[in-house]
Amino acid sequence: PRPDVDFLPPGTHLLFAQSGRIEHVPLEGHDMKKAGARTVLHLPEKVIIGVAYDCVEKMIYWTEITSPSISKASTQGGEPTAVIDSDLNSPEGIAIDHLGRTMFWTDSVKDNIEVASLDGSQRRVIIDSDLVNPRAIITDPPNGNLYWADWNRDAPKIETSHMDGSNRRVLVKDDLGLPNGLTYDSQSSLLCWADAGTHKVECMSPSRGDRSKVVEGIQYPFGMTSLGKNIYYTDWRRDAVVAVDRYSGKESDEFQPQKRTKLYGIATAYAVCPSGQNYCAVN
Amino acid sequence: DATQGTSSDCKPCPCPAGATCAVVPKVREVVCTNCPAGTTGKRCELCDDGFFGDPLGQNGPVRTCRACKCSDNIDPNAVGNCNRETGECLKYKCKACSCSRLGTVDRQTSCSQVTGQCQCLPNVAERDCSACQPGFFNLQSGNGCERCSCHPIGSTN
Repeated sequence: PRPDVDFLPPGTHLLFAQSGRIEHVPLEGHDMKKAGARTVLHLPEKVIIGVAYDCVEKMIYWTEITSPSISKASTQGGEPTAVIDSDLNSPEGIAIDHLGRTMFWTDSVKDNIEVASLDGSQRRVIIDSDLVNPRAIITDPPNGNLYWADWNRDAPKIETSHMDGSNRRVLVKDDLGLPNGLTYDSQSSLLCWADAGTHKVECMSPSRGDRSKVVEGIQYPFGMTSLGKNIYYTDWRRDAVVAVDRYSGKESDEFQPQKRTKLYGIATAYAVCPSGQNYCAVN
Repeated sequence: DATQGTSSDCKPCPCPAGATCAVVPKVREVVCTNCPAGTTGKRCELCDDGFFGDPLGQNGPVRTCRACKCSDNIDPNAVGNCNRETGECLKYKCKACSCSRLGTVDRQTSCSQVTGQCQCLPNVAERDCSACQPGFFNLQSGNGCERCSCHPIGSTN
């Protein structure tokens, strides 16, 4: 098999970073088809942290920390291309607004959140205060909201703002440890996080503020994504992707790649974009 | 290329024992695809994130990959904590210097970013320059500590 870039077959997949590669696991319904797992992208000298997927152009975006940069590659084959390669220090989480055609990322050394068009132009800092260890970031494109988590050991928190950085608010600050992973499910309007300090997955409704526990006693979550009833997180102790049913709170499956080393960011590559439009898409 | 039909078509992977390899199309470069645990890179010459060393000995003797130490001044939940070859720390978990101003040169409050050592006046000890060395006293002078000058016969040690 071609070791640097491979085609992503049709269908919905999980994409996750493991050291210098991005792997995919096909999803059949909500089940991982583990036998179909392959390397999509092999960049042996890099350390890939964050992964995001643009369902419109079917491109994978990722952050990389050895020569700090944000790059993209087509899932239909094609060379990796740097999109942002200057003035980054430790880019970690990355999220895409597929409607507005923008991307957002956190930098854990610059302690800020930036936005740019998907080609890297129109780059701008939108949050640059009160961040210590920002990592996970996700978008809710139909509603124009942004969510991120800061695992600052002295005062961990989960925050939200509009996509221009306005209307910033702290959503969660109590009983958090190391909230490494975040995901938002637009059908249930629930924001969920995976915490390597409290060893729990919890969810809340950002509008109502009610909070509920999905599962506890998990080991060391890093990245997180979701699809329908399932939540998927990467785990640093198990070197695996773990699937949890958000309604039963039960672990339903695990995928452990042959190579035993830490797994970082994870994203869902949708076969078809979720429906909806937002202000930025029409203006 | 096994399709040419010569004895040199297939060559062993230039990778550590057990690792598989593949040829990158276009550039025809051979890349190891399954490096031994803890290593990565085209030839498995690099350590995984959070570790440092020179597993193939490319720049001197072989140094197996070891966890970034950084004087315990890094956070294990962070990524990119140290340079993967040299171990140089890239992400200090910063704490305040808290230098004792009576004990520092020119009453400085800054310290080494690596060790946290404040710059102490003569005969002053500790990271934060908060105490006299044994056999010295009077930190309060602001000029360093003075020798105790105890009489050897009249003192217990």
